[in-house]
Amino acid sequence: MATLPLQGVRVIDLTWIIAGPTATRFLGDFGADVIKIEHEQAVDPIRLGRPIVGDHPTLNNSGFFNYINRNKRSVLLNVRHPFGMDLLKRLIAVSDVVIENFSAGTLASWDLDYPKLCEIREDIIYCSISGFGHTGRDSENTTWGPTAQALGGLTLTSGLPGKPPAGWGYSFMDHTAGYSATIAILMALHHRNRTGEGQHIDLSQVEAATVLNGPAVLDRTVNGRTWRREGLPPGNRAWEPAVAPHNTYPCLGDDRWIAIAVMTQAEWEALGRAMAEPPWVSDERFASNASRLVHQDILDKHIADWTSSRHDYETMELLQAAGVRAAVCQKPSDRVEKDPQLKARDWWQRLSHTELGNTVHDSIAPRLSENPGALRKASPLIGEHTREVFAEALGLTEAEIDEFMEAGVFM
Amino acid sequence: MSGPLAALRVVEICDELGQYAGKLMADMGADVVKLEPPHGSSARGVGPFVDDEPGPNRSLNFWYHNTNKRSVVLDLDNSEKDRELARDLINGADVFLEGLPPGRGKDLALDYDTLVVANPSLIHCAITPFGQDGPWANYHSSDLVALAAGGPMNMNGYDPEDASGAPPIHGKGDQAYNTGAHYAVMGILTALVARDASGRGQYIDCSMHEALSSSTEVGLPHWLYTNTNIFRQTGRHAAVIRTERWLHRARDGKDVLVFNIGRSNESWKKLKIWMQSHGFGKQFDEERFDDPSARQAARGGTEAKEIFQEVSRFVAALDADDVYRGAQACGLPWGTVRSPDETVDDLHLHDRGHFVETKGEGLEGRALMPGAPYVMSGTPWEFRFPAPKLGEHTDEVLRELRDPTLG
Repeated sequence: MATLPLQGVRVIDLTWIIAGPTATRFLGDFGADVIKIEHEQAVDPIRLGRPIVGDHPTLNNSGFFNYINRNKRSVLLNVRHPFGMDLLKRLIAVSDVVIENFSAGTLASWDLDYPKLCEIREDIIYCSISGFGHTGRDSENTTWGPTAQALGGLTLTSGLPGKPPAGWGYSFMDHTAGYSATIAILMALHHRNRTGEGQHIDLSQVEAATVLNGPAVLDRTVNGRTWRREGLPPGNRAWEPAVAPHNTYPCLGDDRWIAIAVMTQAEWEALGRAMAEPPWVSDERFASNASRLVHQDILDKHIADWTSSRHDYETMELLQAAGVRAAVCQKPSDRVEKDPQLKARDWWQRLSHTELGNTVHDSIAPRLSENPGALRKASPLIGEHTREVFAEALGLTEAEIDEFMEAGVFM
Repeated sequence: MSGPLAALRVVEICDELGQYAGKLMADMGADVVKLEPPHGSSARGVGPFVDDEPGPNRSLNFWYHNTNKRSVVLDLDNSEKDRELARDLINGADVFLEGLPPGRGKDLALDYDTLVVANPSLIHCAITPFGQDGPWANYHSSDLVALAAGGPMNMNGYDPEDASGAPPIHGKGDQAYNTGAHYAVMGILTALVARDASGRGQYIDCSMHEALSSSTEVGLPHWLYTNTNIFRQTGRHAAVIRTERWLHRARDGKDVLVFNIGRSNESWKKLKIWMQSHGFGKQFDEERFDDPSARQAARGGTEAKEIFQEVSRFVAALDADDVYRGAQACGLPWGTVRSPDETVDDLHLHDRGHFVETKGEGLEGRALMPGAPYVMSGTPWEFRFPAPKLGEHTDEVLRELRDPTLG
């Protein structure tokens, strides 16, 4: 097997829920030794998160937890025990990265702020993910993914005109805060490799969201225009670039939809050919993009009439073959069972898990030619690697580990 | 102090898909040379424009996604001389970021197999809608089409009573492109860290489809473990069971995200006192509200519905930002559903220097835009110069190419 690109990078993972674990999932997928520090009195809530397999949560039977926490090791450590805190510090001393997504101030209350971490390990890379960052007047405020989406402007821009916002339907900003943290950590590792210096990465989930809406902010600061106005959000019609047709259209079956985006005049002509040139496509009102924009209601109705008697994937293939941008709105079942692209690229992989059995995982993007990521192991059972990690990383003997175990340090 | 990528040279050939990846590196100090055709990147045609007047240098979308880059015009489609110049530039670069259709690089002799011969430490990242191979490799995409195929869209939509038979909804702001770009940069930086040790570069096949399919939270696990598809709900998480509403309209007409009520006794007590000080929630003193599990809708709590109804009346009596701030003081993660542009009014973000001033053609003075996605203590994010005019740096960059002591 090729060397994993982040082999040799040890990460002390104090994160939980989704944002932080998303960052450490990527690092683990590419070979970092991610050590998830857990405590039985305050377990990662995702260990209880649905879907679970079986009647009751056991801490080890959440499919959701398995999805986010593959390729990691888990140790139990009671940091409220003086020996526990000492062991955490000894682990940090032999690690490259410390990452947490507690509320701002929590790690400082453990007496483990960045200066303290530097005393333990001079070149440590410390990444904190919090709602609002560690400075500024609202740093005490907290977010969950949907809060960052609301405050950052993502929720409002998703919806049908005249309706309440639809939002994103999931914690898009937990994924994206995790990606932003990953990018910052990797840059910090590169910088450390060049200079020997570590640093503190102060990631605010709200800021990771506001940066995703730059053009809308500039429309206000340059043109004086707010997004809170008649006609916005425009549903699945285009905001910018202003093009038509651009929408979702119903297909045969229950809740089956195809998205079609016509960006150029050539693509409009291709769409007409793909539909076998029904008479309405040569209607004057649809001759130019500007005119199609004005007459979107009737245009969308014509296209919906055409799609509604057709099968979704066949229509996608027909349109794509003609050079029209189109795709089925895929449900999770579609991606797993039908999507021929994911299948052809071996996207679905299996990993064995003690309680969950033979579990399916999505593969690793992006694909590196020389040092690709690897699915090495399913998510850890709680505390599965306590003995292994403390023996290996700190050189503790069996007897010492037993002693700490008795003293209630590993719980 | 300078950015963590200050020594990095990047050549970028990207339009709407991929340009944000170039920005993420340029903003951290990399020298990103953007190669454009004579008529300019198609992203220059994406609005909004300064004063709504289209023009290659007036796209605010382009301004935002191309900060700190240099623009060089080369006619790669028609000129072998220009293709040779592109190869020379990439030969001297650390990273080649391109969004060419699969196979196009080979036609232009800008493919990895050709480039690696002269530059074995090159990191070549190709970002495409669906990846380099497979039955959909040559399919065309857009932000809408990508979010549809990748799965995120299927999670956003409406309860039937709000919009019966509504489709999945496309969240705006190029978020499919942004997620694709995040994956491209994560891949490039991973390869860079590997190169720090090995000295060797590599090729990266970044599929926007795979990036998005990796980004749908609980959607896949529900199918993988229970063969159940989640369904869409208005303004809150898609789920396998119907949940209480999260968006409530405030007095000023803005919506507020309201959730996570009653999990902890501490925040419940504070919420109760706050609401009662405004004359709401008098019944919350009754004993039946004391049990946390009775208060939580997600746990099937018996009192949860009553609480949500009362909170909804309460929210309707206040302005959205007062609800947001009051709830945060109670330890609740509620927030105003803001318009993207309303973020510039947030004083906390200004405390952190989050916004920076840019300038450009047609704008008198300067205008604010979002800045750093992460605050790095040792190697800060930096706005060095605005997005380039088309071909602004052609002469400068080609001069440096002829004389490496320049630049």
